[in-house]
Amino acid sequence: MREPIARSTSRPVEPEEVFREPRAVPPTAVQRVEPEADAFADLPVLTLEPEPRFKRAKWLGRLLWGAMGLIASLALGLAADSLIRELYRRAEWLGWVGLGALALFVLAALALAIREAWALRRLHGLEHLRHAAAQVLVSDQPDPARAIVQQLSAVYAGRADMARARTVLDADAATLFDGADIVRHAERTLMLDLDARAKALTAASARRVAVVTAVSPRALIDMGYVIFESLRLGGTIAQLYGARPGFFGSLRLVGAILAHLAVTGGILLTDGFVEQLVGQGAAARISARLGEGFVNGLMTARVGIAAMRAVRPLPFAALQQPMVRDFIPELVNLTKGTGSPS
Amino acid sequence: MAQPPTIAVDELGIALANLRDAASGTVTPTLRLGVTGLSRAGKTIFITALIHNLLTGARLPGFTPAADGRLVGAEIAQYPDKAMPRFAYEQHLAALTGHQPVWPDSTRRISQLRVTLKYQSTRFLKSLGGLSTLHLDIVDYPGEWLLDLPLLSLSFAEWSADALERARRPASTREAEAFLAALDALDPLRAATDTGAELLANGFTQYLRLSREDGRALSSLPPGRFLMPGDLEGTPALTFAPLPAQTQQVRRGTLYALMEERYEAYKRIVVRPFFRNHFARLDRQIVLVDALRALNAGPEAVADLETALTGILACYRQGDGNPWTRLVSRRIDRILFAATKADHVHHTSHDRLEAILKRIVADASRRAKFAGAETRSLALASVRATTEGTLEEAGETLPCIIGKPLAGETIGGKIYDGVEEIALFPGDLPANPDTVLEPGNPVRINFLRFTPPDVTTRTSDGVAVLPHIRLDRALEYLIGDWLR
Repeated sequence: MREPIARSTSRPVEPEEVFREPRAVPPTAVQRVEPEADAFADLPVLTLEPEPRFKRAKWLGRLLWGAMGLIASLALGLAADSLIRELYRRAEWLGWVGLGALALFVLAALALAIREAWALRRLHGLEHLRHAAAQVLVSDQPDPARAIVQQLSAVYAGRADMARARTVLDADAATLFDGADIVRHAERTLMLDLDARAKALTAASARRVAVVTAVSPRALIDMGYVIFESLRLGGTIAQLYGARPGFFGSLRLVGAILAHLAVTGGILLTDGFVEQLVGQGAAARISARLGEGFVNGLMTARVGIAAMRAVRPLPFAALQQPMVRDFIPELVNLTKGTGSPS
Repeated sequence: MAQPPTIAVDELGIALANLRDAASGTVTPTLRLGVTGLSRAGKTIFITALIHNLLTGARLPGFTPAADGRLVGAEIAQYPDKAMPRFAYEQHLAALTGHQPVWPDSTRRISQLRVTLKYQSTRFLKSLGGLSTLHLDIVDYPGEWLLDLPLLSLSFAEWSADALERARRPASTREAEAFLAALDALDPLRAATDTGAELLANGFTQYLRLSREDGRALSSLPPGRFLMPGDLEGTPALTFAPLPAQTQQVRRGTLYALMEERYEAYKRIVVRPFFRNHFARLDRQIVLVDALRALNAGPEAVADLETALTGILACYRQGDGNPWTRLVSRRIDRILFAATKADHVHHTSHDRLEAILKRIVADASRRAKFAGAETRSLALASVRATTEGTLEEAGETLPCIIGKPLAGETIGGKIYDGVEEIALFPGDLPANPDTVLEPGNPVRINFLRFTPPDVTTRTSDGVAVLPHIRLDRALEYLIGDWLR
């Protein structure tokens, strides 16, 4: 039985107000200093890595697209209207059928749009979370960190595979008092498993790409396959981290992945540069196609890593980001089979 | 003139012991963790909680080896020094997690424990051999004894001047009255008698005891063994008292000469071995500071605390060593200053508590950094006795803590019985840490002591989980890098 007695002991006193005596001095004794803007206030909080953000269209572009959309909608509306009228003119029942079909179409389109918007929001939410987490890692404030944990729990609320991790995180976050600790703990508990699975998916994809490239008769086929596999990999990884992208979400994801590749491609390239040269040289000596397969496989691995960085809701702080070189053994062991497509 | 705390023979002994450790350390490295804190700073609780959390592998999310799953396990091992009592971990834990949890009694004697940690290293070469092992040696001792360390560099005359100045302060008139009267009645230059010396020493001990019970003077009153004599009670080495400085030549056989001789004997027999065996060879140090109790007692107590800590920490060997010098000379390369009992304030006040702690240990910390050691400060609670909440008072929302105050704790005229649970807003800590040292500042805060928490959560193995605040962060800082 708890019977908390709420009792204020000493009234909260603002120390500054109490400890400072009021005093008056002649103005000549005062050195006037203009308030100076804090030089550090505007500096952006350093994130752990340079990350490209989704760019929003400028207002001119928005105007253009908006107007165009309006015209298109008007045209569509007009077309639909005249179609229905025409149908009614032919026969009453035909008109009703047409109207019904139109209503269904509009309903379905609306549902789809809502789903897309939802997916986009989710993707955006993950990105937002990542930035917030990167800031907390620097600022070490507990309250935003708890908010992040709550949002993460919401993101993964429907996931049976993460039930245990969620429970552990919720219980432990209450015992932690430092923002950075909370975020790092969240990363360890929630992301560890997801990272491993994303890595496995990437490895399997890379291996498939390498094999297809090695055996495909035409360059066009393996190019197509690389693109197909990359898209699929990006989608799967996004789903794994809780993004569930729809069509537009996927487009945005592809954009983000490409942006990541552009920014970090250099880093990822140099990370395994020597191994790549050696591997490629050795593989190419055996067979030119095998060498190409190796390169394409590494490319896919890079796409997988970029996708992870694009959709992971927390930055890599406590855990290590996978490197391209981690996938080289997988690619070298092509004989082990292509792995089952997931 | 300040004397060095050790003599040449000690140095040789320390170097040899280090060499021996280094030899055995090639197989299993040993990390000696120094837990420093005045009496009632929470040393015993800290050690108990630390061992318990390591043994059970319970809630340590901020401790990387445990969070990464690399810490395989820990167990209590045989301590190599067979002449020392073992730290009564089981009894302390039973007290904390019993049906009616109580805080362990204050430490009355020295004890030690060795915990062996098994972990998987992340270093390539180390991880080749499978699991690695690390011994963690911890010593617990009465905090009063710590006050003796500064005596090592003080002569009898210096110490006497200091002690008498303290006794004559207006604040301690009541406690010191009897002793000062006895002192005035004696002529130090007369021939000494055992009874006279005993009488004076008793008066002095009584004075020390009274001022400790008073609680205002924050135990910065050496010699510590007078308060916690252990098995030396009544020996000549513990039967002396400070005497006023003499202008004439002091002849042998006088009371002054006798007292001086006993003072030196006290240093030789009691203090120096204690220092040599336990403090001269440490790798890491945590300094537990009960800042809240001092804040409760007022600026004088805070100033006392600062003086005591600075004096004590000056005795330690801090600095950055390299693997070669470490063979013969161990130095503390990381010091963690911890404001204990952080659960007595709401977590929004932890920043201010840390700022106050930094102010209190500023001198000690500066000295350590100059010597090359790393320092950090944080607010922690080894065992968290409260939960947090908010309370509405006159339209204002106040952050408060919820817990059961110990029986006898009192606030606003009400005395608690140790059963009732209350929500307490202890008052705001000052934003400017300097104000806590300004004499004459009224006390605007009131912290209560709480009973230990009821154990409500257990691990899957059925072991009680002791809640804590930032114990994992402290561990990470103190031993985390040894477990890489």
